[in-house]
Amino acid sequence: MPSGNEISRRSFLSRSAVAGGAVALGAGAPSLLAGCSSNSGSTGSPPTGSKPGVGTGTPKRGGSLTVGTLAEIDGFLPATNHWDTNGYLYANAVYDPLMAVATDGTIKPYLAQSMTGNSTFDTWTMTLRPGIKFHDGSDLTSAVVKANFTALQASLLTGVALKQVASVTTPDDMTVVYTLTGPNPTFPSGLTTQVGYMVAEAMLQAAAAHPSTAPKPIGTGPFVYSQWQPNDHFTATRNPSYWRSGFPYLDQITFKPIPDTVQREASLRTGVVDMIQSTDANTINRFSGSGGSGYQLVDTRTGVIGQPTMAFLMLNTAVTPTNDLRVRQALAKGLDVATIQRLFGGGFAKPINGLFLPDSPYYSNTGYPTFDPAGAKALVNEYKAQHGTPSLQLTTITDPLLGKLIQIVQQMWNQVGFNITIQQVQQANIISDFVVGNFQAATIYQFGAVNPDLNYVWFSTTTISPVGQIGLNFPRNSDPQIETAMLTGRHTTDTATRVTAYQTVNERLAQDLPYLWIDQYLFSEVAQDRVQNFNNPILPDGSPQYPYNEGIFVPTQIWLT
Amino acid sequence: MGKYLLRRFIQLVVVSFIISVLAFLLIHLLPGDPSTVILGANDTAQNKAILLHQLGLNKPLWQQYTTWITAIFHGDLGQSYLNHQSVTHILATGAPIDIELIIISQIIAFSVAIPMALITSRRPNRPVDNMATTGTFGMLALPPFVIAPIMVAIFAVGLGWFPATGYVPFTQDPAANLHNMILPSLAITAGSIAVYYRLLRSDLISTLQEDFITMARSKGLSSRYIMWRHAFRPSTFSLLAGAGVNIGALIAGTFVVEYLFALNGLGYTLVQAVYQRDYLVVQGIALVVAIAYVILQFIIDFIFTVVDPRVTRG
Repeated sequence: MPSGNEISRRSFLSRSAVAGGAVALGAGAPSLLAGCSSNSGSTGSPPTGSKPGVGTGTPKRGGSLTVGTLAEIDGFLPATNHWDTNGYLYANAVYDPLMAVATDGTIKPYLAQSMTGNSTFDTWTMTLRPGIKFHDGSDLTSAVVKANFTALQASLLTGVALKQVASVTTPDDMTVVYTLTGPNPTFPSGLTTQVGYMVAEAMLQAAAAHPSTAPKPIGTGPFVYSQWQPNDHFTATRNPSYWRSGFPYLDQITFKPIPDTVQREASLRTGVVDMIQSTDANTINRFSGSGGSGYQLVDTRTGVIGQPTMAFLMLNTAVTPTNDLRVRQALAKGLDVATIQRLFGGGFAKPINGLFLPDSPYYSNTGYPTFDPAGAKALVNEYKAQHGTPSLQLTTITDPLLGKLIQIVQQMWNQVGFNITIQQVQQANIISDFVVGNFQAATIYQFGAVNPDLNYVWFSTTTISPVGQIGLNFPRNSDPQIETAMLTGRHTTDTATRVTAYQTVNERLAQDLPYLWIDQYLFSEVAQDRVQNFNNPILPDGSPQYPYNEGIFVPTQIWLT
Repeated sequence: MGKYLLRRFIQLVVVSFIISVLAFLLIHLLPGDPSTVILGANDTAQNKAILLHQLGLNKPLWQQYTTWITAIFHGDLGQSYLNHQSVTHILATGAPIDIELIIISQIIAFSVAIPMALITSRRPNRPVDNMATTGTFGMLALPPFVIAPIMVAIFAVGLGWFPATGYVPFTQDPAANLHNMILPSLAITAGSIAVYYRLLRSDLISTLQEDFITMARSKGLSSRYIMWRHAFRPSTFSLLAGAGVNIGALIAGTFVVEYLFALNGLGYTLVQAVYQRDYLVVQGIALVVAIAYVILQFIIDFIFTVVDPRVTRG
């Protein structure tokens, strides 16, 4: 679903890192992780070809890349700041994660050299690569990893997701042992997200000593922080001592927030920036065909590993009237998704009935309600007879396209008997409202994850709190069957059992209806032809890395012609 | 004149004091505990305790005000609790952008409006005057958020004469700075041209019907000399008053243009801070902008005394 002026927070939810914040740890096929190790410092040779974003020819060193981004972030500390797509872009410039996702969906070591689980998958041993230094010259050691973890666990933002880690020990300088509260064959995948990005101990200490001052980022990444002027630019320069020898190619990378999509595209066309990111489906149309001559377009219509980010309406099951299942069913049946997709989907909309797209192994016929205005009216009348006309407020962020969307949804729902009022708020505020349950119905984009288990915190009954208190299960949907299925999916080593478990989750959501699905949320990246290899990163072991993860690219191996 | 200016200066100080009190009370007028208002409900008790101590939020209001105003006089306007930038730094970064937008746009506006008014007021209701009047109607009808994308489409994307977005500080590269600021400035100029032209034109038409103008004509003075030497000056009062209000509105009022052109000016920053509930930033910018507006009106009043010394005897 297109949205011209998305503000920062929305897509960070798609990364399973949140304002109230949680990153679930888990995911991936355990057999692919056991005893996983990789070579250190291998640059590999990028495959050549004519695919967008895949470099052709010999890499050239030098130059400065400017990227037009969607919005600004609020800081660089994984434990306290709210990373969305933009946050991860900045992070990939100055930090490295412990683990990373390969193009085949497996989780592979990055800063780590190996990650091995025991036979019951409740203890994971990580060995770090030797000789890696932070930008301040300090070494990456197990003590630093543990210090990062301690900060993450103590944080309101990320602590919830790390509850499954009972302890972290460091038997030597290069070994970290994670002891979990229970088996989790997919534990390493969480270390590909916000909680897996390592910062220098000096940065943690600065943050602890001066919590009201934003510490400058000190990581191990390909670029070193140079300057940050919020809402204007973030600049980092080449790390001459980067542990992956030969990288990066660029001398400098700059991110410029340009909130307006049309202006961002104009900036690309006029050469103000070299690359842009977009969440407006019409960007794909505008840069396809003749409009894309001289540019390379990469988007998430295809190639998404795991779950894509979904656009949907979220209903609060803990407040009236949406605490009544009949109301939620009526809202679902009164929603003409096909019309919405036609109006806002840019022509790329797919029929959806839940978390998974038809090409996903977890896809199934969920029984999700179809558009049925007569059925919706009957349910509304049934509710009305007991409680009066159901009234609710539909909330979205201050985005022009979403404003139009909720007006259309308002009309649809009013036609079946509801009394709908609409409200637009700033994204930072809407997320706070979600966290404390201060909403009735709202638009949201979420659930993009390389592994369904990463979405555990959003569905779990253990993360439900009363309205007014922090809870990551935003709609407060308490379904023990979902909890059981999510844990089954987390703990099992059998693929068929796993598939069945997540299909159960999807089917239960179609019954409970805390979410009314609209469309896959599309990300796109457009670059001038001279920007090479932004869609073709290579992992330290030489295998290809998941290149474009829901709006996030890796700048390590980009060069300019 | 000295007494007049002194009187106006005292009024300026009094108004500034009232503004400072209102800006100070901004946080306290919001429902809830000020530390929660500033930091948000989800922040830690430790951070709230630090803030409490820093701002003296547990002290009487008058003491808090004294602490706050003393800090301001030392250049400390607090900080953003979103990204931890100091408000002073935010102002120092954003204010030059707004000032430059105002200067460039007003130079263009006056350069176009004044000659146009001088020309058309000599022959009102003639074709040239009608065309100018209609044109300015059109300019008034087109808001900056309509003009800006059109100009970007034509002059940036289409012709490639200017960049679509971006800002280079003047001190870093004056030529690039001006190159980047032309389109944003033009986007806000249209409305100013229309207002100044119409104010000056109507005053000039009235002035040109005065007896002293007839006297000047009867003395054989040229039309140009009469216009510049005799008619223009007494016709500028409305223009100056309108300029004072218009320029004041432009201080942090160019949010839309700043948003479209990705300029990190005060207007954009202020609106973002309001939406993100970054109240100390809102407080700091509101205070500075309000004081700037008052100072601007003082300057306009001074200019009035130069244009017409009779004002001081009023």
